[in-house]
Amino acid sequence: MANYAHPEVLVSTQWVAEHLDDTDDIRIVESNEDILLYDTGHIPNAVKIDWVNDLQDEVVRDYVGKHKFAELCEERGIANDTTVVFYGDKNNWWACYAFWVFKLFGHEKCLIMDGGRKKWVDEDRPLTKEKPSFPATDYTPQDADPKIRAFRDEVLDHMEAHKPLVDVRSPEEYRGELTHMPDYPQEGAMRGGHIPGARNIPWSRAAEEDGTFKPREELEAIYLEEQGLDPDTDTIAYCRIGERSSHTWFVLNYLLGFDQVKNYDGSWTEWGNLVGVPIEKGDPEQVRV
Amino acid sequence: MTIREIADQFQLVDPQDRLEILLDYSERLPPLPEEYAPLRDRGLNMVHECQSPVFLMVEVDDDEVVHLHADVPREAPTARSFTSILLEAFDGQPAAVVLDAPPDVLHDLGIDSLIGMQRTRGLRAIYAKLRHEVAQKAGAGEDGSVGARESG
Repeated sequence: MANYAHPEVLVSTQWVAEHLDDTDDIRIVESNEDILLYDTGHIPNAVKIDWVNDLQDEVVRDYVGKHKFAELCEERGIANDTTVVFYGDKNNWWACYAFWVFKLFGHEKCLIMDGGRKKWVDEDRPLTKEKPSFPATDYTPQDADPKIRAFRDEVLDHMEAHKPLVDVRSPEEYRGELTHMPDYPQEGAMRGGHIPGARNIPWSRAAEEDGTFKPREELEAIYLEEQGLDPDTDTIAYCRIGERSSHTWFVLNYLLGFDQVKNYDGSWTEWGNLVGVPIEKGDPEQVRV
Repeated sequence: MTIREIADQFQLVDPQDRLEILLDYSERLPPLPEEYAPLRDRGLNMVHECQSPVFLMVEVDDDEVVHLHADVPREAPTARSFTSILLEAFDGQPAAVVLDAPPDVLHDLGIDSLIGMQRTRGLRAIYAKLRHEVAQKAGAGEDGSVGARESG
């Protein structure tokens, strides 16, 4: 992983195994799609952070505020200077998402365990059901960092300026063939398709079979050469609810060293339902390199 | 237990205990009988909306009794537990019990608010598949076509 733009944000399962007991300075956080998975067994001394119950406020349809975030950290024994190592299921989708939310609230030292939960399990490393508890900290809340989060009006401006947008969903979702299930319209978008001009680069193209990130050369071949993205141009990534795109946000930002990448967490569930904004259906246009 | 009794059990306790009950159910999903493994391995009877490979085979016999066989990976304990609940409530029951069950069972169980709306899509699809197939296969004919016709 040495030649990534910011290799210091990625650690191996072996590194984590060697730091399990460094709980004064390091907090291991498991963040999963599945709310029960942590409880079936987790890395020793890892705490759980749930993307719905801990990070979101459903009443305002937003993330918890900075004070709630600080409380969450205090309760999990995370101080402002604690190094937080994230890992999780589904190729680290939710680990990247939690990482992104921590960055949003200005937490400085965040790491991702390459390969996530699956790699740890596949390597027969220890799991425990014992839930650790750490002394509460005193966490100073910080204002959310607008540099990594895109809101819809900004996305609209970005689109109109023909700046690069990356749709990281599956080609079927991108083309607009898959919408919500007929009985449950509240879970999907009213329209199927993508933001006009967006490239379609499914998030999974950045991952190896074992869930680790691909080497830098392969990532550059996909994102720069094939898709014509430019590390010096402002770029916005989105998906359905902002989780898969935090994986791509991580790749562009830390592994390829893009200057300015934002995650549009409102993503298709917002854009697909907005009144008065355009969408496109079908295959991507020829890439405008 | 009926689905109503299971729902009552969930409604009586606080959210943390609901998670514990769900974990318990995920441990209790019966293993898939050997003879169904080839169907699973061929990718038949899968719930496609689930992110994990959820196998659910729905059969309705000549006496209109529902038989369910399922397999859900251990890495997807929430889907496992919900499937396990459905097996407990509906396996071996008359088709009418499934068809008369509440349409929004996740809400009745209090699972939707527990796990968040964004996560209910796959679980709703499992339940939708169960109800749809039972409706399709119940009373499908006297010529034995129900038993002969594999689900999916």
